[in-house]
Amino acid sequence: MNRAAGSRRNRAGAGKAWPGALAAWATVSLAADRLWAEGTAEAARVYNVADSRGMEAGPSKWIADVYNTSSWQYAVLVVAVMALMGLLLGYGTDRLLRLLRLNLGPLDHHE
Amino acid sequence: MDMLTIYLPIAGTEMNALLLLLIGATVGVCGGFFGIGGAWIVTPALNIFGFPMPYAIGTDLAHMGGKSIVATIRHSKFGNVDMRLAVAMMVGTMAGIELGAKLVMALERHGLAESMIRTIYIVFLFLIGSYVLYDYRRHARRQAASPGDRAAPVRATLAQRLQRINLPPMVTFTTSRIRCSLWLPVLVGLVTGAVASVLGVGGGFIRMPALIYLVGCPTLVAVGTDLFEVMVTGAYGGFTYGLKGRVDLLAAMWMLAGAAVGAQIGAVAVKYVRGYSIRLLFAVTIFIAWASVLLKQVRLQLLSSVLILAAGIAISGVIVALLVQGMLRERTEARRAAGGKTP
Repeated sequence: MNRAAGSRRNRAGAGKAWPGALAAWATVSLAADRLWAEGTAEAARVYNVADSRGMEAGPSKWIADVYNTSSWQYAVLVVAVMALMGLLLGYGTDRLLRLLRLNLGPLDHHE
Repeated sequence: MDMLTIYLPIAGTEMNALLLLLIGATVGVCGGFFGIGGAWIVTPALNIFGFPMPYAIGTDLAHMGGKSIVATIRHSKFGNVDMRLAVAMMVGTMAGIELGAKLVMALERHGLAESMIRTIYIVFLFLIGSYVLYDYRRHARRQAASPGDRAAPVRATLAQRLQRINLPPMVTFTTSRIRCSLWLPVLVGLVTGAVASVLGVGGGFIRMPALIYLVGCPTLVAVGTDLFEVMVTGAYGGFTYGLKGRVDLLAAMWMLAGAAVGAQIGAVAVKYVRGYSIRLLFAVTIFIAWASVLLKQVRLQLLSSVLILAAGIAISGVIVALLVQGMLRERTEARRAAGGKTP
């Protein structure tokens, strides 16, 4: 009788517990899914690393360090350096050309 | 020479700095003279000397932005950059690039991308080269028939017909001395942008002749205006490849140092050469690029890269020779004029 009552209590307990169990299962499985997804994404991501270990301190090492730190910073650095160098070299070489005493005014668009 | 060998930690290779300067100078001369980016020279050249292909493309695009600034500054001082036209074309180019990318995706889904793109590239290069060469011969015959008519601007009939289409808003591009519908440069930009995107190139070699034969620009304005577009394309390419970590900034800086000098030389050389001579040299260059792609098609990769690099050096040599010849002629004329003035 006691056994039967216990069994009924267990069944009733199980009946009451199923939402909790479902929630626990959902939480664990969602967390596992998320971890799994993060793990695979992490594994799929390819990291670009510049080997700067043997390099002496200087501009080259600094560039390599920026490259290893942040891709956004590196991309901005690429555009900024190229634009700045382009402007400086453009005006610098223009000055040099003037030393040749060439006429560098507007051209006639002859064909 | 060993002292000049530099370690490039990002590309993961070593390279001689003088070689980077030489590659930069070569492509700078061609870029400043023809108004192109010159990726078809730099990418195989860097690849031959040990750069992995994605790094070669990214590094080339990054230095292209800087080099085009140098050449655009010079061309704008010569009055060769039509800013209004450049902006109008750029709107179309951006939309065209997106359209081209979508087309490539569609081709990829059908497994046709690789073979189709290579074939389109070969056909396109051949058609552009042939048309420019044909136009040059036609012009030469016309000149031979009436040698006195040299100052008259020669425009392709197709461009004149396209300019006559009265689709508002009609705009005057003062530097190019043309009046046409705003839609003409936008549509030309759209088409050339889409083609460039499908072929995976910067598009200078398509845009420059398109500006001449479809929009009706004088050759020098086509060169300068196209360089302005190459500058924007290069900056965008440098950023996006930089974000993916495929730009070796150190190599790009060395190349840009050489390219800055080269771009000035190429840009100043246009002063001493007539528009049609630029077109002739351009046609020769296009045919060499065509031969190089054909060699790649038959799996002679190394020969193709060597051909394009050697041709790039030879063409820049011709441009430098034209510049020196022109400068000497100018000096002699100036001296003669000064001598004539003295009593």
